[in-house]
Amino acid sequence: MFARSAAVATLLILGGATLPAARQPPAAQPAASPPAGTPALSPRNASYAITARLDPKSRTLTGDEILTWRNTSTISATTLRFHLYYNAWRNTNSTWMRERWLAGDTPLTSRPESDWSWIDVTTVRVIGAGAGGDLTGAVRFVAPDDGNKEDRTVMEVPLERPVAPGGTLNVQIAWALRVPRTFARTGTIGNFYFMAQWFPKIGVLEDGGWNCHQFHSATEFFSDFGTYDVRLTVPKGWMLGATGVERDRRDEADGTTTHHYYQEDVHDFAWTTSPDYVERHASFEHPNLPPVDMRLLLQPEHAGQAERHFEATRAALKYYGEWFGPYPYGHITIVDPAWQSEAGGMEYPTLFTAGTRWLAPRDVTTPEGVTVHEAGHQFWYGIVATNEFEHGWMDEGFNTFSTARAIENVQRYSPNYYAKRYFGGFIPWTFRDFPLSRETDGDRLASYRLAAKADTQSTPTWRYWPGTASAVTYAKAALWLHTLERMLGWETMQRIMSTYFARWAFGHPKPQDFFAIVNEVSGRDMTWFFDQVSRSSNVFDYGVDAFSSEPAAVRGYVGDGNARTFAGAPDGGGPFRTTVVVRRYGEGLFPVDVRVVFENKEEARWRWDGRDRWRMFEIEKPVRASFVQVDPDHVLLLDVNYTNNSVTLAPRTKQAATKWSLAWLVWLQDHLLTYGFFV
Amino acid sequence: MTGRAAFREGIRRVNGAPMVVAGMFAVTLFVTLPLSYALRGMIAAHLGASMAADRAASGTNYDWWQEFSAQASGLGTTFVPSIAGFGAVLDNLSGFLDHTPLAATIAGVTAAWLVLWSFLAGGIIDRFARARRTRAHGFFGACGMHFWRLLRLGVVAWLAYGFLFGYVHAWIFVRAYPWLSRDITVERTAFALRIAGYVVFGTLLILCNLVLDYARVRIVVEDRRSALGAILAGGRFVRRHARGTGGLYLLNAAAFLLLVALYGLLAPGTPRYGLAMWLVFGLGELYILARHYLKLLFYASETVFFQGALAHAAYTAAPALVWPDSPAAETIGNAEPTAGS
Repeated sequence: MFARSAAVATLLILGGATLPAARQPPAAQPAASPPAGTPALSPRNASYAITARLDPKSRTLTGDEILTWRNTSTISATTLRFHLYYNAWRNTNSTWMRERWLAGDTPLTSRPESDWSWIDVTTVRVIGAGAGGDLTGAVRFVAPDDGNKEDRTVMEVPLERPVAPGGTLNVQIAWALRVPRTFARTGTIGNFYFMAQWFPKIGVLEDGGWNCHQFHSATEFFSDFGTYDVRLTVPKGWMLGATGVERDRRDEADGTTTHHYYQEDVHDFAWTTSPDYVERHASFEHPNLPPVDMRLLLQPEHAGQAERHFEATRAALKYYGEWFGPYPYGHITIVDPAWQSEAGGMEYPTLFTAGTRWLAPRDVTTPEGVTVHEAGHQFWYGIVATNEFEHGWMDEGFNTFSTARAIENVQRYSPNYYAKRYFGGFIPWTFRDFPLSRETDGDRLASYRLAAKADTQSTPTWRYWPGTASAVTYAKAALWLHTLERMLGWETMQRIMSTYFARWAFGHPKPQDFFAIVNEVSGRDMTWFFDQVSRSSNVFDYGVDAFSSEPAAVRGYVGDGNARTFAGAPDGGGPFRTTVVVRRYGEGLFPVDVRVVFENKEEARWRWDGRDRWRMFEIEKPVRASFVQVDPDHVLLLDVNYTNNSVTLAPRTKQAATKWSLAWLVWLQDHLLTYGFFV
Repeated sequence: MTGRAAFREGIRRVNGAPMVVAGMFAVTLFVTLPLSYALRGMIAAHLGASMAADRAASGTNYDWWQEFSAQASGLGTTFVPSIAGFGAVLDNLSGFLDHTPLAATIAGVTAAWLVLWSFLAGGIIDRFARARRTRAHGFFGACGMHFWRLLRLGVVAWLAYGFLFGYVHAWIFVRAYPWLSRDITVERTAFALRIAGYVVFGTLLILCNLVLDYARVRIVVEDRRSALGAILAGGRFVRRHARGTGGLYLLNAAAFLLLVALYGLLAPGTPRYGLAMWLVFGLGELYILARHYLKLLFYASETVFFQGALAHAAYTAAPALVWPDSPAAETIGNAEPTAGS
């Protein structure tokens, strides 16, 4: 299996001579067929057999892949398009780098020479009966999104013979790449390597043509499902973790080890290697869900936090499994990346990177928050594989919503607190007066509030303003999903999510697919809601404009003719007329409740469609009102200013302001005395 | 005289001048109160008559706080959760050591407070040097007499500290530390490196501080007029009495760290509005009072040490200030004797 085949010998003669590294990887073999009786969960129309060799000394990787691709679209494929992500960090003219610069990340563009990367495809050859042979010379770079001629992240290969719908093609590609100092959570630092988006990966052919976007700084990825049969050669003694499970391992004569990993029904393959990892194992068991073997590759200084990683992964598998659907793979690898690797907090099929700190207080959800989130991506991204280039919010927003809900349900994580790190960011301090809430912190309201108008969510994600994309992608979607949960109730929401999961597992749903399921399961036409939250950048802000509760007795003339009398000043007794004026300060429309609570604890509620700019409500009661609230149940979590949603006739404003200004006073005095060092 | 003896005598002298401690505390309070009042207005304006105020008065209301921060400007930007409890101390110490930029308003009030303190430093050191009551007129007379000298010293100090924070700090933490730690993959190692940076920078800072402290003491005690001369004399003194001055500085620093640790243990959370709030505020003010005490102990013990080493206890070169007569008395005194009788 490891001997070089005649095909590869030909490859080397024809094209491999340009490979910079002396040692070439063994030739890839076509992806192995699944064991008999294993039902395919996905279309498996983009399967890879890859062999690759990492040379840490030169920080290069040479690889060879055989792609077995089936055209699942209704059009013939006259070309193939591949992602070459590592070219995003070739120079500052790539679209990715330009966008980072736009986002204000200028230090990134001034990195030293050793940090940059490239990927060179040295051979492209169609193999199999009737194939057109070597296409290396026909390879060209295209920039379908912005026309940037300097961008080399999408490679197009014209085919001599089109692939008809349903037809299959085998393509052999050889490549070499230089591993960068981490950009976009792939790369290396020291002996730590995290290899993601590292091989030429085919785009997705849709009925409208290739969906193969350039690499953008604010987007992630999109690809078809398949089987990955991967052999990775790394220095002997280095631990390796990857998508899938290790089938076998072989020590080579040259002091290297080849690890063989295999996984079906996934749409990407990532791996990591380092001699420093500490390995731990645990399992997830549940009465109604399939068991999962958990493998944790941990940094030695975090060895004491192994159980925290397992506990958080279990939480994700449990709650996501119970709410949405089972995790089908039976194994998962958790990677704790090296300090400063910038590889943390990223998801790949059956493998994800978490991220923790040496000092990690137990009442702060680090590493738990990121671990639940990235494990949760196995569901929203891994299994339900939305197009992250175009609808990033469909996995990030869904997953932010789900993570916050899961965290809220784990007893040990409640409450968790605001924390700040001091002295260069090393020393954490937990503020136990500041418990974090799902609504504001889990759903990331603060980040949305600052960028609420930055982009319309339905704009393709790759066209978002790079500096604020995450607010629209992560926070806004989480907030409106949570709002939807509060409108429809969790039971309905759970049925929506599980229906969506079941229907679109191992598929590529689009926003309208989810919207349709919401309407179908809830039995309500929620189009107006999606128009507001997803198809507009309207800001929601409802508030109380005026509130009074005064004696209703009239003053002035009453009656007619001889019966006309003058009513004097009311005596201050009842009944009382309570008047409320509520106002829509933002552009967003949402029906809200208006609630008035009276001194005798009785309450009155009105429903306002929230469409006009303002609305007045009046009521007479024998007692005065105490307070009024717009949206008292806080259904509309996208309301950027909830403080103005209530008014009380006995406010404690002065007390609150006094209390907090005194706390601030102590801070300021202490600050002056700290600077008193100078005198 | 040993550093320990000077420290003990410094305590005695600070204890003997409770009005100085109280006065300095009052000065800081009066400088900060208007800003606190202004912030109170901002908080009240944002809370309005909302029910969010109720939660903010009863405990914390982090949701409201985030809303407030999103719209805050100027002074309001400094109203962050880390001002609560012991976080305030960590915030300030960390910000100081990491040279975190200050909000313009805070930088302004800090500068004003430092100038005010420089004015009062002459009277304070004079009071401690004499080890007896100087009364208000003596105290403020000394303040006025030494102010311009201390201000000139302050300008030199500002240049020295500016160099340390502007260049040395930047060199250590913006250039050297990132360069040295760039390829470190173990956080503990990076932290050790950071601590090494703090030690190097802290040592330079303390050396500078020591020399300027004794320059300040010499200006007052020896009635020196030249700030530069005082710095040179201060430097000589520190060099010749390195062990004593260093030991005394460490004792004072240890007292400060002890106080910070104690406050860290005792600093309560955020209470409800009411008696508990005032008790917590009282504890915070007690801590601030103690910080003033320790600041004055620095002055007093270093003055004592200097006097013990170069002169004698309670030695001051400047004569006790004689407060001039009122203009009316002087006019009468200077008047020509009237003719007759």
